[in-house]
Amino acid sequence: MGRRPFSLFWALCAAAGVVLLTFVVLPAGSMIAEAGAGLLGEALRQDDVRRSLVLTVSAALITTVIGFVVGVPLAYLLARKEFPGKRAVEGVIDLPIVFPHTAAGVALLTVYGRQGVVGRLLAPLGIEFTETMAGIVLAMLFVSLPFLVDGAREAFALVDERYEHVARTLGSSRFGAFARVTFPQAWRGVLAGAVLMWGRGISEFGAVVILAYNPKVISVLTFERFEGFGLRAAQPPAVLIVLVAFVAFLLARTFLVPRRRRTGKGQR
Amino acid sequence: MRWWPGLPTRRAAAALAAALACALAFAAFGTGCGSDERQVKLIYAGSLIVPFERVAAAFERQHPGVDVVTEAHGSIQVLRHVTELGDRMDIVASADEQLIPPLMYERDDPETGAPWADWYCSFATNRVVLAVSPQSPLAGELTSKTWYRRLIEGDVRFGLADPRFDAAGYRALMVLQLAEREYGEPFLLEDMLMGRFTTPITVEHSGGTDVIEVPEILETSAGSSIVLRGASIQLVALLESGDLDCAFEYESVARQHGLQYVELPPSIDLSDPDRRDDYATVRVKLDFRRFASVRPEFTGDLIRYAFTIPANAPDPELAREFAAFLLGSEGRRMLAADHQPLLSPPELDDAAAAPEEVRRACAGR
Repeated sequence: MGRRPFSLFWALCAAAGVVLLTFVVLPAGSMIAEAGAGLLGEALRQDDVRRSLVLTVSAALITTVIGFVVGVPLAYLLARKEFPGKRAVEGVIDLPIVFPHTAAGVALLTVYGRQGVVGRLLAPLGIEFTETMAGIVLAMLFVSLPFLVDGAREAFALVDERYEHVARTLGSSRFGAFARVTFPQAWRGVLAGAVLMWGRGISEFGAVVILAYNPKVISVLTFERFEGFGLRAAQPPAVLIVLVAFVAFLLARTFLVPRRRRTGKGQR
Repeated sequence: MRWWPGLPTRRAAAALAAALACALAFAAFGTGCGSDERQVKLIYAGSLIVPFERVAAAFERQHPGVDVVTEAHGSIQVLRHVTELGDRMDIVASADEQLIPPLMYERDDPETGAPWADWYCSFATNRVVLAVSPQSPLAGELTSKTWYRRLIEGDVRFGLADPRFDAAGYRALMVLQLAEREYGEPFLLEDMLMGRFTTPITVEHSGGTDVIEVPEILETSAGSSIVLRGASIQLVALLESGDLDCAFEYESVARQHGLQYVELPPSIDLSDPDRRDDYATVRVKLDFRRFASVRPEFTGDLIRYAFTIPANAPDPELAREFAAFLLGSEGRRMLAADHQPLLSPPELDDAAAAPEEVRRACAGR
């Protein structure tokens, strides 16, 4: 081995990367290429596809907002405090990642279904989780919450706690320190987690289809079209949602994720 | 330069190697099991899941080294998996014999230029019932005489298989239309379905025939008391969980799952061989404008299940053996034990085209 053993090393790393990228880009790219631009127009002209797109995107947005409200405080707590059972809490938060999503759907149905423990309590108030948008949001929330909590926790952990202490010694309240010092430094990471959560929400199928077959989110519609009418019919909704998700992610990565975090350099 | 990496790296490398070894061992084990094993692949109507699982297990016991691979869908799907999605199957069983000629006889396998099938064997029957959830507060209120009134009222949540994909779905619509006459309630079907779908299901009366038209996009409207699923079998879990009060199901399915059910009069439940002419006065037409892949019209008839062996079956010899087993005394006994009513004797459509083994089994030899 000579002085510069790295060139082979990096070449191998890059080769692995190329394999992985091809694996991801090929199916998505070929679906879009095969479908062509005409298909996109066709997708947008189809009533059920349009309705489903709006439903999917908005349900995932509502999910993310709820996730934000309940997930960010927990993420901050986990980033700052040590307490007994903290590992267990972190484990529980990540549990939905390892749940098969159909199993998650079954579990949710037993609790939030019409005869479930919670479902029965809420039914008199007119809140039902089967065949409703509420059910879709519930399923999306369950499977996507870990992405926001984990992302936000890491973002908060990167903020130096000393700044918060300084703010407190200067008379700021805990809320003030969080709102004026911590969050402004961590928001990009938190929002990146939120975007991931949203993305996970729109892509959910297994849990949603068990709680709410109707109204149809785009994954259910794509599946129904494929099973019921064939490949050709399934393409418009599939291509549309892939493009929408792609554009949303591109925008998010461009505007949210700071340069230094993307390259992984110059952090400190 | 140090060649030997630090401890954590060494551990990670060891873990990776161990994982790889496990994966290889599993793969070797898996293929080792499968290498000398023959497969027979079955695809069938969802309502046959329980009895066919049992028959498949018995066939495996009787044929060591044979692995029976099973898959179930709504009946229209079952056939489309073979003819449109290109799944190669040994036995294809549909809950409706009517589906096989248009989807398999009249279409050719593009690889061979020959039809997908040219015979079928009708082997079982059934009847439509209204299965009731054990959890439903309405369990006692639904009776053979008054069920439809409760369903019209709107506080009963009932399940329907999607008539675009499942035979049980269009049959439920036929039952509702036949019920109009049976109970002397004009507009029964319209009253029951009106406002519950975003695009309505309508009925056209022409001559002595009622044609039920199902729109291409079938979606329940917000707050609808109807729950739609791709296949009737998918409604069973919702009955069990109490998310549905009742659902149109086959009697065999209700009994297999120990569900209570309301019996419907023979004049409407599609089970009475003497009423085939009456049943035939009702038709369901699917209004497929964009994706016409099915000849979208079904005529009311006695419920008759049928199977065939597709022309491109991967193992036709084993398929014929399975067919003979299914039709033989042991197979029939197992179907009956799972409450699946049988057609006695089984009947062949185009007996001349059917394989010898199947012909003999149908004749009870």
